[in-house]
Amino acid sequence: MVELTRTFRPTPSDGLPTSTSVLQKQTEELVVKQLSHYQQVQPNPNAGPPSASLPTEPELSKPLLERKLHLQFLLRNMLQGFPQRYVSQDASQPWLMFWTLQGFSVLGVGLDDKTKKRARDTLLALQHPEGGFCGGPGQAAHLLATYASVCSLAIVGQPGIGGAWDEVDRKKMYDFFMSLKQTDGSFLVAHHAESWILFRYASLTNSGIYCLLAVATLLNIITPELLSGLPEFIVSCQTYEGGFGNASFPEWVFQKGEDSTISFDPSAPRPVLGEAHGGYTFCATASWVLLQPYVRAYYSSPIENDLSSNDDAQSPGLPLPSINYLLLLRWLVRMQGTEIELGGFKGRTNKLVDGCYSWWVGGCLALVEAFIGLGDTEKHAEVDYSGDTGTRAEEDAWHDIDDGLLNREALQEYILYAGQHPAGGLRDKPPKPADAYHTLYCLSGLSAAQHHVAPDESRKTKLIAGWKAEDAQQKAGVCTAQTSTDNQARAAALRRYTFTDALCWLEDEGADKYVGGSGNRVNATQPLFNLTVTHTELMMAHFYGQTLPPRVAQTPAKK
Amino acid sequence: MYDFSEVEPLYAERPDWADVTPLQQYQGVDPLAPINYSTEYQDATDYFRGIVKTGEISLRVLQLTEHIIRMNPGHYSAWQYRYRILLALQLPLEEELRLMDQYAIDFLKTYQVWHHRRLLLGALRSVDAAAAELEFVARALDTDEKNYHTWSYRQWILAHFNDEARLWAGERAWVEHMVERDVRNNSAWHHRFFIVWGSGMRVGDEDRERTLKRELMYVKEKIALAPNNPSAWNYLRGILEHTHTPFSTQAIFVQLYTTSASTPGDVFDLDNPPPSASAVLPCENALEFLADIYEQEGGAQISKAIEIWRSLADEHDTMRRKYWEYRIKGASQT
Ligand SMILES: [Zn+2]
Repeated sequence: MVELTRTFRPTPSDGLPTSTSVLQKQTEELVVKQLSHYQQVQPNPNAGPPSASLPTEPELSKPLLERKLHLQFLLRNMLQGFPQRYVSQDASQPWLMFWTLQGFSVLGVGLDDKTKKRARDTLLALQHPEGGFCGGPGQAAHLLATYASVCSLAIVGQPGIGGAWDEVDRKKMYDFFMSLKQTDGSFLVAHHAESWILFRYASLTNSGIYCLLAVATLLNIITPELLSGLPEFIVSCQTYEGGFGNASFPEWVFQKGEDSTISFDPSAPRPVLGEAHGGYTFCATASWVLLQPYVRAYYSSPIENDLSSNDDAQSPGLPLPSINYLLLLRWLVRMQGTEIELGGFKGRTNKLVDGCYSWWVGGCLALVEAFIGLGDTEKHAEVDYSGDTGTRAEEDAWHDIDDGLLNREALQEYILYAGQHPAGGLRDKPPKPADAYHTLYCLSGLSAAQHHVAPDESRKTKLIAGWKAEDAQQKAGVCTAQTSTDNQARAAALRRYTFTDALCWLEDEGADKYVGGSGNRVNATQPLFNLTVTHTELMMAHFYGQTLPPRVAQTPAKK
Repeated sequence: MYDFSEVEPLYAERPDWADVTPLQQYQGVDPLAPINYSTEYQDATDYFRGIVKTGEISLRVLQLTEHIIRMNPGHYSAWQYRYRILLALQLPLEEELRLMDQYAIDFLKTYQVWHHRRLLLGALRSVDAAAAELEFVARALDTDEKNYHTWSYRQWILAHFNDEARLWAGERAWVEHMVERDVRNNSAWHHRFFIVWGSGMRVGDEDRERTLKRELMYVKEKIALAPNNPSAWNYLRGILEHTHTPFSTQAIFVQLYTTSASTPGDVFDLDNPPPSASAVLPCENALEFLADIYEQEGGAQISKAIEIWRSLADEHDTMRRKYWEYRIKGASQT
């Protein structure tokens, strides 16, 4: 329900206006003005002393998700194509496709077979002959383009001839990933001609890593070689504010000796390049969660005793890297704007609210909450988010909070009141035009605020019970020779953890919340990939050679 | 630089390009969600795809990449190809950097422009060029004060040329100037953290206690100027955590910001500058900070922390009500 007691308190500028505060004030006025389309009493953000709360209790009419207009927007882009100004996205063609296709999925609209076929043909034209996918036909392969292509194929593809899934060359894709690998464990986003060795440290980003991890997880091409060093890299990107920057500087940690061997000095500084940022924070956090199967299989010793052959298990001796969850949570909640900003999200401290951060930050907050909520059972002992004391008590405390920390109602309001363009499609903020990117990420953010999707232990148990290890290994897109028994056991564990950890995320159907009524419902999305749970399941079941146990709807709780 | 503003015939009509077979983007595919290109762009990229296929490295292709980049600076493959030609033909990279000066101003928001500069500077290995880059970055940040790529690039330059005292000499003064311009510019605060704490110890800065004292003075002065500024508070918290200094060391300072009326004392305490006369108090960040002090102290102080969190949840920061209640629950159970 819409909260009727509101205080529209402008952000104080303490009598010292600067360009930040001036822009902030303008934005607050623009955003809060949106309510006037829905209410009789218009709030006046300028009235009274800034700290005084305005006793407005506006009669707000229900904000409606303009489903039909948004579908028309998506359809127009898909069938008539994008207008000329989208030439700036010419190297992001799989992204245009993903934003559009996933937009339909979130709105609960399936596509006809003919359109799906056209989408598959278009996407396959983006596959690079040497592996991976490109921003457009004839362009170079790119990690980000690969993520957008594979996720699009999760929506429109299927097994068998012409279904496109089996036409993805996973071996070559893996080779492409490995060819980008840098000594610090992170990845260049794409090749730089033959002399790339010159700038081996030049362009490491955690958005590239996220894309790689999501794809490798979906397609069953994870190996320990692919992931080595990544947890440490992600950890190094967390800033003093709690959110994550784009990359860290690796040259002091990894020193090149005279004989061009690389030595590793973990005590050397590895500073973050760039401040805490919503997009990079999502990528780093989702990467961190996607890396947990690897962390569990390779950083703990001996490996868990449900594996048959771990008698000779030896500790690989890797110190367990960790991120600071409390600091991350603080930063995430602080990105949510106040009432006068209608509870939309910002991407950085002292920047403006923007619809796309509904997903990058709002979705990230929902992801962290759900992930930490797992803490009470097996296998997540390494998640010591509370610092050094009393994890048990804190975890119990966590479960008492039905709702998590995201202000779900407020976020939905920002998207519904300010995010929708009157002519269809969604946007950054008024009075900006709608575009394909903001349309998807506003809708995904809406989904994250409506639904609670979290790891489900009973689902996990069922997945483990039905796990067919040999089939999964046989279906793997790439197998590396594991010499020792211990290594074989770890590699097998990694594969199983990867599968079960990704697919145990389910919607808790008793926990949904719809501002404006259930007519505004959009589909739930799996927060690690931003795909529906069904699309994730179908694709992974295929590439891991598994038959999934049926999902039973949980009994809805009282709303 | 080649002037593309002149009306040029399409590559398809130019005799000097007649030997290249243009390659259409989609063959035998009716693409879904296509972009409606201009004729000029379509023509140039058709020829670029043709070139990629043959692998030609030449000056005319260098020009072609520039043409495409001017129409679409996000075309990463054109950038990659361009860089490859520059190296293969051993073209002067300084000249390329000067050409980039114009690009960066026109395409300030595009990652590729900054990435290309980084590659050039990495290949040049010239401290003079790096110094010129720092100047250029400063000019770019004059017009776009929070540009993420620009700031990251500056941090990369400084780290990459870590031992060059000359590059580092004016850095703290410069970033102070940026904070002076807008005390709420979080990018500038992050940069300060990077140069003072993140990138290791600098010569003359080995006395970390003195450094911490200096930084505390600096950030508290900035908080006093405009207390409702999360960037400055985050910096304060960040340096205390980085140096493992208890928050309680700042209790006197913080309490000046947690009451609604500012009462300037008779003696101006340099370590604890009071809020400016126009400050809006109490300041939410200060309340949070004080509650953290109480929580760290533990014991009987917990109830004081809870009281503050309650007031944040109910009054001062209602958007984050659930977060403050989470803090209350967490503290109540230990
Ligand atoms: Zn945006």
